[in-house]
Amino acid sequence: MYRNNRHKTIHIRLKTKVSCLVFAILWCWFFPVSVSAHKVTIFAWVDGDTVYTQSKFSGGKRVKNAPVLVYDPKDVLLLEGKTDKNGMFSFKIPQKTSLKIVLKASMAHMAVWQIPVEALGGTEPDNAAKPDGLRNSLRPSSGSMDVQTQEQVSGSSTVALGKREIEEIIDASLDKKLAPITEILADSIHRGPGFTEIMGGIGYIFGLVGIALYFANRKRKR
Amino acid sequence: MHISEGILSPAVLIGGAALTAAGVAVGMKNFDQKEIPTIGILSAAFFVSTLIHVPAGPVSVHLILNGLVGLILGWKAFPAILVGLALQALLFQFGGITTLGVNTLNMAFPAVVCYYIFGNGMKPGTGRSVIIASAFGAGFCSVLMSGILVGFSLYLTGEAFLPAAKLMVAAHLPVMFIEGILTAACVLFLRKVRPELLEEPHVPKQST
Repeated sequence: MYRNNRHKTIHIRLKTKVSCLVFAILWCWFFPVSVSAHKVTIFAWVDGDTVYTQSKFSGGKRVKNAPVLVYDPKDVLLLEGKTDKNGMFSFKIPQKTSLKIVLKASMAHMAVWQIPVEALGGTEPDNAAKPDGLRNSLRPSSGSMDVQTQEQVSGSSTVALGKREIEEIIDASLDKKLAPITEILADSIHRGPGFTEIMGGIGYIFGLVGIALYFANRKRKR
Repeated sequence: MHISEGILSPAVLIGGAALTAAGVAVGMKNFDQKEIPTIGILSAAFFVSTLIHVPAGPVSVHLILNGLVGLILGWKAFPAILVGLALQALLFQFGGITTLGVNTLNMAFPAVVCYYIFGNGMKPGTGRSVIIASAFGAGFCSVLMSGILVGFSLYLTGEAFLPAAKLMVAAHLPVMFIEGILTAACVLFLRKVRPELLEEPHVPKQST
């Protein structure tokens, strides 16, 4: 009687142990508390004369205090810096060539983002030639901008808006409108592996096992 | 543990790929048909193990399970880990195709070493505590060796060895313990359900 009881309690204990283990594994799987160190990504975008970069581990954790290196197309180092605690690093555009931004996270992880020359083309910093008044008048919201341009045209004090000014107006409003989209894009780039990929991978492995067995069987039959 | 593309020098990449090819060749030699499903299942376990994250201070790391793979498969850990890593590179962009050779070597070589060091504990008739100790040792040491090998690969490319290896090992310290415990649990479980899986590779084959 006593022995039987003892057996039972051991059995129950084992059961709870196993279920704890299973639960722990499932919990780790479904709630990746913080993030893996398998992969890092860097995402960079141009806003005005500044390049902003955001660095994350796959899964969304920010890469803190990691060196970011900026190269020109000939792989000459232009500048370097470190990400802050939000994984952000920004710098003024050093020159108008395409830029290669390299993130070097710890433990052999690295990510690269290229900025093509076109992305920098509209952001020439040489506005010294322009009268300051004109530049300021172009900055406010689009409503008043229309009025001012019309005034200027009707006043014919200057030749109609130059190509550069028009570009600048468009850039300013585009930057504003695209800001949320670039943020969404930055977030969507840093996603971890999805369920379909995991299942797909397991399927591949089982498929390979099938193929291997098929050939092994054929060999034996001969 | 996955080294990204573009970090290592071509010489290291080619060297790693060559050594991996050699390891795979050894693993594929005298390959028994009965072992194919085992290799596949362990390859799948290895593939999925990277998704179980262990938060470790500033970074978080994932399980590798190469100790368990090595204990059961021996040299056949090379093909199993190669397949798992290739799929991780293709589907999740962990590591990369060019670094596949080096990454496989870094994870499969410790597995084979653990097979030789701790495999004796798996022989039939060994005591329970010996089995637990050897399984724990295999899980622990395989991760430790992988960390050192990653540090060594970085060193060959020109980074200072000690800081890189120290960082890798320090970050994986919690994983070593968890892997050790998990490997021991798996081995105990397998011994109950399918003892031949563990014992067969360690019994000298009768020449037929």
